[in-house]
Amino acid sequence: MEPTRSSGAGSGNSGTYTPEIAESLRFEEEIQSLMHPSLEPPPASDGGSSFTALLGLPANQAVELLHEPESDDSLAVAAAKASGREMWRFRLRDPKALTLPSGCSPTFPSNAALVERAARLSVFAAEDSPEAASVPSHSGDRSPKPKAEPADSDSQPICPIPGERPQRLAKRKEADKGNKVKGPAKKTKSAEEGSAKGAEENTSGEKLPYVHVRARRGQATDSHSLAERARREKINARMKLLQELVPGCSKISGTALVLDEIINHVQSLQRQVEVLSMRLAAVNPRIDFSGLDSFLSAECGRVTVGNGRGGGGMEQSAWMEATVVNGGRRQPQQQQQQQQIWHVDLVHPHPTPPVWERVDSPHLIINPGTSLFGYDPSNSVVSLHSNQLKTEL
Amino acid sequence: MEDQGNNKTLSLIKTSTSSNSGFLERGRRIKVAAEMGLAESSRGRHWSRALRDRLLRRIGNGACGCQKEGLTPSKVAEDLVGEEGDDEVIEMARKLRALQKLVPGGEDLAMDRLFEETADYVEALQRQVNVMRALASLLGMLEKEKRLMGG
Repeated sequence: MEPTRSSGAGSGNSGTYTPEIAESLRFEEEIQSLMHPSLEPPPASDGGSSFTALLGLPANQAVELLHEPESDDSLAVAAAKASGREMWRFRLRDPKALTLPSGCSPTFPSNAALVERAARLSVFAAEDSPEAASVPSHSGDRSPKPKAEPADSDSQPICPIPGERPQRLAKRKEADKGNKVKGPAKKTKSAEEGSAKGAEENTSGEKLPYVHVRARRGQATDSHSLAERARREKINARMKLLQELVPGCSKISGTALVLDEIINHVQSLQRQVEVLSMRLAAVNPRIDFSGLDSFLSAECGRVTVGNGRGGGGMEQSAWMEATVVNGGRRQPQQQQQQQQIWHVDLVHPHPTPPVWERVDSPHLIINPGTSLFGYDPSNSVVSLHSNQLKTEL
Repeated sequence: MEDQGNNKTLSLIKTSTSSNSGFLERGRRIKVAAEMGLAESSRGRHWSRALRDRLLRRIGNGACGCQKEGLTPSKVAEDLVGEEGDDEVIEMARKLRALQKLVPGGEDLAMDRLFEETADYVEALQRQVNVMRALASLLGMLEKEKRLMGG
């Protein structure tokens, strides 16, 4: 356990590795170039568990290399080359954790020093020491090869390479491992950002510096597609809501047909409104408004009747009044309704649209807030604009 | 615009009181009133605001004889739709466009917001229809009674 480990690569665990960071970066590029043309998975890798496998070298060779302090560079290169691929994976999983979790192969069972050196030689220098320090426990949780953990946690964490790589890695990792990543793989909105940035924050609430996105096979996991997917899911949820609203839509499958149904329904409702308004227009508007003034001032102080506007008098009050005058058995009902209506209006201190008010004030005056039917949820009544209605009468 | 609205409404009121306002004219005004009520019933909604603006504008413009303003540029539906086959995309885009036109204020909305507003609009429309139907039958009955009672 080297305390210096957590302080970053450059802190020089030993004098030999002072320019380590620069080296690491260089090695990184080397690895990249090496890896891309052709790099088959390390042979005999049980999930890449063995350090030897990582190195991609026969065991003895690796041991040799490791045992040669002078061959640091070559070892580093070799390690870089061979383990590059694995490194990528591990980095993806835990940028801060050592990428040689599987490291302890039978060849180097518990040689902490060796592992440390190898880790040191790895190209991935830790950049963030504080996180690195906090990470070991995390890496311990999540490394697929637990046996390597204790040693690994002290090993040099891998530096998070700038953002885009983890995403590329994500793809490859997914391709490689399919659904191997368990549990933490979660797809949430925050997860998108998390994995997109290659962020180390644990957004899923689990002990993971990385939030894994469960990308389906063959689907990209970069930030754009993730955001896209989340959006699409949101849209689908809304669509389902609409389906429930529109009668008979839940049985239909397929967005296009559902959309058709929705459009038809909206059109039919709008047509119904038209038909009903015609029907209302057909109602004979001649209702007796004589007793209205006193009635209204009693009921609702906000309302004043225009002078000489018999026909244009109080809308619903007019009707209600008429009913009261005429209706026999209907009376109680309407009165109730009336009370309700007025009540609701009185209750609503309508922030009335100024236009209406100004319009009304000169002559007529119905308080625009006065509506035909106040909005009363129990009745599911909708307010019709009093002004206009009255004009009809 | 307010003054124009003012004048327009006054003239509306004047004309409506005369019994020779055409049946159609009355119907149209009732429809406007109903839509206004519809908009008022769900005040906070995007579509409600758009509907109200549309109605007020129509009244105001009617007074000054302005043409109806062009539609605001709408987001191309293709943007809203996710990946689908090309023909399907075109189909979907057309349908979305149609829906956008139906829902007041829908032209500026992206797909997810559009669906939200549509859901609310459908609910409000349904309520409106119920109310109007009840009102119409009520008035109809009233009239019948009046006639029966020799009114």
